[in-house]
Amino acid sequence: MSSKTAKPVMHSAAWRISLWATLAFACGTMVVFAFLHRFVSNDIQQRTDAWLAGEVEVLGDVAEHTPKNALYDRVVSEVAELASEEVPNRLRSEGRANDLVFFLQTDTKGTLALWVGAGSGAPYLDAIRRQPFPPDAPQHLRVAGSNVPFRVVAARIDDGSVIYLGLSERDELRVLRSLRFRFFTWWLLLVLLGFAIVFYTTRRMLSHVRDITEAASRIGHTELDKRVPTSGRNDEVAHLARTLNRMLDRIESSMHQLHTITDALAHDLRSPLTAIRGKLEMSLSAATHGEQAEPIVAAIDELDRLTEFLNTSLDVAEGKADALRLSKSEIDLDDLLRGMADLYEPSMSEKNLRMTLKSHSPLTIRADAGLVHRMISNLFDNELKHLPAGCMIHMRLEAEQEQARLTVEDDGPGFAPEILPHLFERRVKGRQSSGHGLGLAFVEAVARAHGGNVAASNREEGGARLVLTLPRGLAQEPEAAMLPVSAFRA
Amino acid sequence: MRLLLVEDELEIQTLLRSGLEEAGYEVDVAGDARQAEQLAMASAHEILIVDLGLPDRDGISLILSLREMGVSAPVLILSARRSVDDRVRGLEQGGDDYLTKPFAMAELLARLRNLLKRNNPGVGEPTKLRVQDLELDLLRREAMRGGQTLQLTPQEFVLLEYLCRNAGRVVTRSMILDKVWGMRIQPDTNVVDVHIYRLRGKVDGKGLQPLIRTLRGVGYVLKDR
Repeated sequence: MSSKTAKPVMHSAAWRISLWATLAFACGTMVVFAFLHRFVSNDIQQRTDAWLAGEVEVLGDVAEHTPKNALYDRVVSEVAELASEEVPNRLRSEGRANDLVFFLQTDTKGTLALWVGAGSGAPYLDAIRRQPFPPDAPQHLRVAGSNVPFRVVAARIDDGSVIYLGLSERDELRVLRSLRFRFFTWWLLLVLLGFAIVFYTTRRMLSHVRDITEAASRIGHTELDKRVPTSGRNDEVAHLARTLNRMLDRIESSMHQLHTITDALAHDLRSPLTAIRGKLEMSLSAATHGEQAEPIVAAIDELDRLTEFLNTSLDVAEGKADALRLSKSEIDLDDLLRGMADLYEPSMSEKNLRMTLKSHSPLTIRADAGLVHRMISNLFDNELKHLPAGCMIHMRLEAEQEQARLTVEDDGPGFAPEILPHLFERRVKGRQSSGHGLGLAFVEAVARAHGGNVAASNREEGGARLVLTLPRGLAQEPEAAMLPVSAFRA
Repeated sequence: MRLLLVEDELEIQTLLRSGLEEAGYEVDVAGDARQAEQLAMASAHEILIVDLGLPDRDGISLILSLREMGVSAPVLILSARRSVDDRVRGLEQGGDDYLTKPFAMAELLARLRNLLKRNNPGVGEPTKLRVQDLELDLLRREAMRGGQTLQLTPQEFVLLEYLCRNAGRVVTRSMILDKVWGMRIQPDTNVVDVHIYRLRGKVDGKGLQPLIRTLRGVGYVLKDR
């Protein structure tokens, strides 16, 4: 569990959600601002153009009606200067207005006749000549030597000369620049703040989901009476927790039902089996002749096999339903395997089978001792029953970080290809097998019940391979370690 | 030796009573918990056998109430259930024992003897065991037959020791697996038989009277006379 909480924050769902939400917010506000910016700049331009149109009309009038004498230049210049005093959108701090506005008049030949403005009129005239000027339609004009464009309107007067009135766009650009700067400052602040808020809230919400996940995985199939934490709220997460709990209620009740059925079945069969066994034993002690004893002995053997079949069958049934009840204690797999190898060694060598066991050190796991003992003995039985004489069996026990792995390999005929995919199902056995076909199904049921698994395959070089993995499960529930090591026959 | 048997099923009751009486116990039989309490009050018993599935009450609550009433004799619990109740584990740690149905009579008797021995630790453990001309030195882990040292593996010695301690009495395969190898398993191969066969080859040499007898369908016995 701790590995989950320790993962970097960048891999969390909260991080991704906040990132996408912030991105959407940032893009959205950016588009809105783009429209706003366009609207403001159009508005300013319209006002400029209205002013220009008005002023150029006045100037045209003045230029037309003023006699072309020595005073003409002076009168028109005065009017032009006056007009420049009333520039719209002007920033008050700017004192010098005459570099914002220019007035230019060309004669019929297109040469400069009159110039009112800052500096020389020649570059302005050059720039004007380079582009067509339909009358009464304001145009942008870029002038060499000035980095700010002008808005210029032209008017033709009756004597054939043309007057041009230009207004610098400096102030307009400055207003827009300041607007952009303020927007971006606030935008950045808002985006960062929004990210922080979204991240914080989703993280809080998802931490509840994580609590539920952790609790649910702890419940697994062993602590079915536990429930996931529910908050008092009425949101989706609380709904999820309640739904999970209702589901657990149903699972618990059906599992309880299954236990009731298997227990009742076991109980109802075991009582008569006990009576039959007792009677057989009594008649066996009364039988004096070998011929009389023989069928009784066979009956007792059959009865014991039937009992074992009943036990294993019910265990496998519960195991398949993930309902096998475990009573865990600490067991040393290394010790268990050595004991088991010692137990089976004479039978193996009787059948001319050789066996090696590779295991280095004590390997403690928390598991149901009775079930694990029977599982390992099933593996040995399986080898003993199915291998032809003269084969080798290699067992290898390895400790991995959180699990123990037992590999059993032999150089026998291997599993028949047609049964390999169904090896762990009930009643599946090879053609020559004498067993009841529950051995490997039981191994799988026990491994699953402990959260492990078993895999079977045929080795490339011939023979069978079984790999059994069991989680060591030492970190959790240390308080239960006081249970006795030996467990009862189920 | 007086014994109280609490078992509701008549057939099993009858079988157990005759088996126990044959083994030398004086048996009082109760069919339910109420009768068991009356019998336990009426006379003192040295050991109790209690079935968990009683008609009127749960076997464990009967044991607990008998304990409260001052009955301190050890109890052998019989059960046909699959799962082992935590309360049974508690009782087991308190010195009682547990046996699953169906069982071999020999195993029931062996467990009764064990319970009685545990309750009356007699004189100190012997360091030597002797059965006819077979002698086991428990300290040096050596076995001699008729003056000849037997070449036994440590495991074979433990097995022979277990047979000697139960000389004259039947031990079953599952008892041997439990006591000698510490495993409660039922292999469907003859692993125990092969061990006994090997041991017999070493103990019952040529020209000697065979000591280890096979009782087919029941188990093994080491003859003490």
